[in-house]
Amino acid sequence: MKKIRTDFIQLLILLALGVGVILTLVLPGLGDSRPRQSVTSISVILRDTDTTLWSNTRLGMEQAAGELRVELRFLTLSQTNDAAQQLRLMTQELEQGANALVVVPASDVLPGEDLPTDAVVVSLESLLPGAATVVSPDNDSLGRQLAQAAASDWKSGPVLLVQTAPENAAMIRRLAAARQALEAAGVPVTEVTCTAVDLETELEALVTASGARQVMTFEPSATVSAAAAKEKASLQAELYGVGATGRIAAWLEQGTITAVAAWSEFAAGYLAVERAVQTLDGQSYGTEALPFTILRGEDMYEPDNQKLLFPVMS
Amino acid sequence: MGRVLKGLAGRVARRYRSMSIQMVISLSFTVVAVVGMVFMGLSLVLRFSDSSQRLMVENSQRILSQVNMNMDSYLRRMMRVSDAMYYRVIKNADLAEDSLMPGMELLWEENRDALVSIAVFDGTGQLISAAPLSQLKPSAQPGSGQWFRDAMNKMENLHFSTPHIQNMFQDPDFGYPWVVSLSRYVQLTRDGKTESGVLLVDMNFAGIARVCSSAELPNDGYLYLIDSDGELIYHPRQQLIYAGLLEENNLAAAGYPDGSRPEEFAGQNRYVTVKTVGYTGWKLVGVVPQESLREAGREMAAFGLALLLFSVLLLTFLNFRISAYISDPIRRLEQSVKALEAGAESVEIREDGCYEVRRLGHSISSMVSTMRHLMEDIIQQEGQKRRNELEVLQSQINPHFLYNTLDSVIWMTEAGRYEESIQMVTSLARLFRISLSRGRSVIPLTDELEHARHYMNIQQIRYKNQFTSQITALPGTEGLYTLKLIVQPILENAIYHGMSSLQEDGVISVTARREGDDLLIQIADNGMGMRPEVAASLLDEDRPDIRTTGSGIGVRNVHQRIRLTFGPQYGLSISSEPDEGTVVTIRVPALDEQAARPYQREESL
Repeated sequence: MKKIRTDFIQLLILLALGVGVILTLVLPGLGDSRPRQSVTSISVILRDTDTTLWSNTRLGMEQAAGELRVELRFLTLSQTNDAAQQLRLMTQELEQGANALVVVPASDVLPGEDLPTDAVVVSLESLLPGAATVVSPDNDSLGRQLAQAAASDWKSGPVLLVQTAPENAAMIRRLAAARQALEAAGVPVTEVTCTAVDLETELEALVTASGARQVMTFEPSATVSAAAAKEKASLQAELYGVGATGRIAAWLEQGTITAVAAWSEFAAGYLAVERAVQTLDGQSYGTEALPFTILRGEDMYEPDNQKLLFPVMS
Repeated sequence: MGRVLKGLAGRVARRYRSMSIQMVISLSFTVVAVVGMVFMGLSLVLRFSDSSQRLMVENSQRILSQVNMNMDSYLRRMMRVSDAMYYRVIKNADLAEDSLMPGMELLWEENRDALVSIAVFDGTGQLISAAPLSQLKPSAQPGSGQWFRDAMNKMENLHFSTPHIQNMFQDPDFGYPWVVSLSRYVQLTRDGKTESGVLLVDMNFAGIARVCSSAELPNDGYLYLIDSDGELIYHPRQQLIYAGLLEENNLAAAGYPDGSRPEEFAGQNRYVTVKTVGYTGWKLVGVVPQESLREAGREMAAFGLALLLFSVLLLTFLNFRISAYISDPIRRLEQSVKALEAGAESVEIREDGCYEVRRLGHSISSMVSTMRHLMEDIIQQEGQKRRNELEVLQSQINPHFLYNTLDSVIWMTEAGRYEESIQMVTSLARLFRISLSRGRSVIPLTDELEHARHYMNIQQIRYKNQFTSQITALPGTEGLYTLKLIVQPILENAIYHGMSSLQEDGVISVTARREGDDLLIQIADNGMGMRPEVAASLLDEDRPDIRTTGSGIGVRNVHQRIRLTFGPQYGLSISSEPDEGTVVTIRVPALDEQAARPYQREESL
């Protein structure tokens, strides 16, 4: 009897030790807090026809992709701000196995219910319904401060506000805030709607028709088109826009553009990918707006502004 | 504390006493081995941790030294370009007659992978020559640049700037390259006169980034480059820092001397190694998060723990097997001894296991064998002793009776009563023949009753027919055997104590009958009898022997012989009443010839 008890105790001890060995081998792997080893697939869907104006954003996304083991896929539309096509692309990418989407919404009235409920979507510029979060500067504040810059330079005549994406909430809010700020400052405003592509050919006529001495655009593509049109037609109207590309910087330096609202597009791209990954991992994060700066040609080479306009790629 | 320890020691001692030898051996070995292994494991872990840290610091320093060499080489190359431009091109040219462009373009072509531009300015900041772009932007003001002021203020030195956008030259491609500017004061010759100027060599920032990014520090570490004021020149996540998404401890690092030290920044403990780059005062800073070291340490500790547990598992298993090998033979011996204690007749005592245990088993086996022999001897001796006792008891019968009978024969012969004396001698002879019975103690019942009849014949002659006797064997007693000489002592008692005082009409009857498995022989007389308590005390073994005038010590003798032979359930019972008579009943087993044989064989042993 005693032998049976002793044998039983020995068996229990050996079993306990065996379980201990297995646990010490298995548990560290289970509790591994290191970065994920699998590659996450994220599709980036822009609302433009090419990525030229999003190069800095793309750099930031690629930096985040390298650090977070993400595979990026950049997709553009065949026609700028084609919301239906963008929705089709979103659905298609999710069906093809994309773990998350980073979207620059062409329209804020996209029928988001067509997307799977568990789809992880991070939007840039403006909040897409159903998106986990938005990475964007404060659009109201941006429109207001850009308008205040224009107002401070105002001498006479109306300010021409150009709406190039009437379905885009970010554009709508920027323009509305600018209008409000200008009107509050007693500056007359005229609003026109025109696509960014058409603006390059139609700006001169619009300026002439409105008698405007100042023109405001609210998205980079519109700013580029307007600057190109101004340069081509040697327009005298001062141009206020949005964006921080090399071309915009050059026009800013040359005086073609008087002032731009610029934010770190590199940071926006990085944050968009990072937050998509964090959402996939169920982590929490802050949702504060990106800081932005109103830049004029004369202060664009300040050290901080250089870093903002011209990303350093390490 | 002392009491607690004493109590604990007491509990351990009590536990130890109740443990099996196998448990004691295996537990003791395991505990000692585990303590030893834990001690060794901890020593190894501490040593590993210390070595890992030292190795990490050495690796960081080695990598930083390598990067420093590469950086030094890169900067020397730029300085050689600057030297070549100054000493081979500028010094040999008179600006009134010669152009600097051919030499400048040649140098730029040779080093275009590392250079963005080369430019020479006069002392007022006016451009003299530049390659590859030769037109300044209208807004450019070289004279106000820090690089220009440094060169003019410290003429003897070469000056390296922090990274900045090169924005002075008109670029049809709208290029805004990041550069690090190397500027120096130069003496220009114009019309044979010397004048001040500044030579600017813009190094491509990507070249510096390439040198720095080629290094990879251990344990998720990284390195960055700062100037003497702590301004970032290169950082692997530079733009994130510029965008405010990340912070670096670069300003503090500017104050660190060369070497390694721990620091805490943004809630993170890390090791920082600093190496100053020659000529520039820049500092290479290597950062290794301690968390990654701790992670490696944790992985190592988990693996070590698994290894330790596995070793303990193996060791415990081995200890159990070894202790079982040692203790199993001892346990089997213990069980054999217990079985022996319990009275088992056939117990196997195995002689296996270690030498000492085999010897012990052998000794126990020998001891048991000796004990068995001794027990057999004792049994034999006991048998012999009992036979001796029986013989002694039987021998107690004869002398007085023989003496009195022979005395009576003499007396009758003298009185001329030859018939009676012949009868008495004949009966006496028959009596002794049956008494001998070839030395057997168990004889046929008929012989025993005949023995009683001859005895009564003798006594009736002696007592002049003062009493009569009647001996009867009832049906069912045929062929039965009984212990010999058990009736005669009772008859003797009946005659001496029952009949001696009677004048006539004394009757003694002997009746043998079977009652179940028992044979009952009843001897009844109508003599003077006795009180029942006296009758009951006659068989008391503690009662002192009372010698009578009879032929032996009487009923107690018979009672003891029967019980010695057949067991305590047999023997005599006496019932008596004063003036009524006495009845003595002998109860023995009803033995046939076959059943009587073992008793006869036993007698023969």
